[in-house]
Amino acid sequence: MTTSTPHGELATLIAAVQGACTGEALLEATEALSAKADPGSLGCLMEILTFNNPGAAVAAVEGLIKIGKPAVAPLLANLDQYNYGARAWAVRVLAGIGDVRGLAVLEQALAEDVVPSVRRAAARGLGQLVLDGLGPEEREEATLRCFTSLEKGQSDGEWIVRYAVAAGLEQLAPALLSHPDVVTQLITNLRSLANEASEPVVVVRLRADLALRRLNDQRLDRSISTPELSA
Amino acid sequence: MESLGVDLMERQANSELIGSPISEDEALRRLGLTDDASSRYYAAWWLGRHRSDDPRTITLLLEALRQRSVHNPDQDLDATAVARNAARALGKLGQAAHQAIPDLLRALDDDDPGLREAAARALGNLGAREAVEPLARRLKGGPAGPGRAQQGSARLVEPCEALLEALGELGVANSEVLEVITPFLDHERPVVSNAAARALLQLTGQPCWGERLVAMLRHPQLQVRRSALLDIGACGWLPALGPICATLAENSLKLIALRGLAEAAPSPGSAEAVLTAMDDLL
Repeated sequence: MTTSTPHGELATLIAAVQGACTGEALLEATEALSAKADPGSLGCLMEILTFNNPGAAVAAVEGLIKIGKPAVAPLLANLDQYNYGARAWAVRVLAGIGDVRGLAVLEQALAEDVVPSVRRAAARGLGQLVLDGLGPEEREEATLRCFTSLEKGQSDGEWIVRYAVAAGLEQLAPALLSHPDVVTQLITNLRSLANEASEPVVVVRLRADLALRRLNDQRLDRSISTPELSA
Repeated sequence: MESLGVDLMERQANSELIGSPISEDEALRRLGLTDDASSRYYAAWWLGRHRSDDPRTITLLLEALRQRSVHNPDQDLDATAVARNAARALGKLGQAAHQAIPDLLRALDDDDPGLREAAARALGNLGAREAVEPLARRLKGGPAGPGRAQQGSARLVEPCEALLEALGELGVANSEVLEVITPFLDHERPVVSNAAARALLQLTGQPCWGERLVAMLRHPQLQVRRSALLDIGACGWLPALGPICATLAENSLKLIALRGLAEAAPSPGSAEAVLTAMDDLL
């Protein structure tokens, strides 16, 4: 075994993925490769997303998220040639990394993608973009774009997308504190998702209700005038 | 709770149709086009999917279901497909569709196994307790009778999975029903024996049936793991939370299963644990 240099070890791990003959073997090889989180494995991990093997794809998604920023540009470059399954996984990676370069993809995916699992992953991602490195104006613009996008996703026809919107709105809320009017609107949106009259699916209501309770616990309502929130 | 399994099947069967938005009026118009089976097929699906509450909907769906009984060998296939979708749609329409129960009971005796399957699921969805006896009758004889594989077809003699699921959903746990279901635990097809375990878990609440389904989450075949996920979700069996998250299957299916757990959770605290697990799968 050549494990003396990182390159040798990485090559061995990649060869194990390429040589896997069964789903189990592919899963194990992918987990081993993903654990390295080595940018040198990007091409291989991205290819695994196209294999229609959910177990291996989950492992590859984890690896790509761990690799983080170096994975963003290659993923964006490959997105168009992916099949739906792979696109869903790629959107999930972009959502997990939370890099602002993925914002436009997430917006478009939530608004337009025909596959619910892609819209779901996008909604999740729009709530958890990492904006620390940006200037105040850019950060504010990105946050408001996320909110607008999630707000539209609230009327999605699939329950799981609305569920993800509720989770996304909760996560986004703290970033909007400088915009009390927007937080008020966000609370209104969550209330609508928690209300039986406007939301037919129980689990979506449960999730929106949980979001409202948590935001209430965080005293997000202190900065804004929503007396009903504490009800 | 609506049948999660049916929802999934329907989504697969109609996935090519999603994305061509029409209005409720347009769907009703198309359902009335008696000589255009494919328009009616889509319209019937649309009205169920969108839980149409227009007063004309039930009447038109009933017509579509009844036309199946008019025997016309040349167009039977198409009329049957429309009738199947009409039955599925009626199953989604709740209280308003209860007037369709006698017709659905009749469809349970149709020659077409696909229509019998759709009718069984619809009767389960509608909570039609009067269906318990005819459903149980169709299952009498166990794996060697109605559960026998038909030559030259993937189908069993009876749509056992749907019949078992409907009995579980209807919740009538008398000894006759339990006796009819139990032999199917030994059916050679895991999805059928899973359906028996699911029905018994719903009817008796005994943990052994839930544990049996959980064990199937480690089955080598993805298709079997998927069916176990849907079965556990339909039962809302909370102890399966960890195993559901750990099984190797698509997140979409795990989320459907977890939805069942969250909606059946007895307290906000136990629901919150499920919701947290769901968030991780988005």
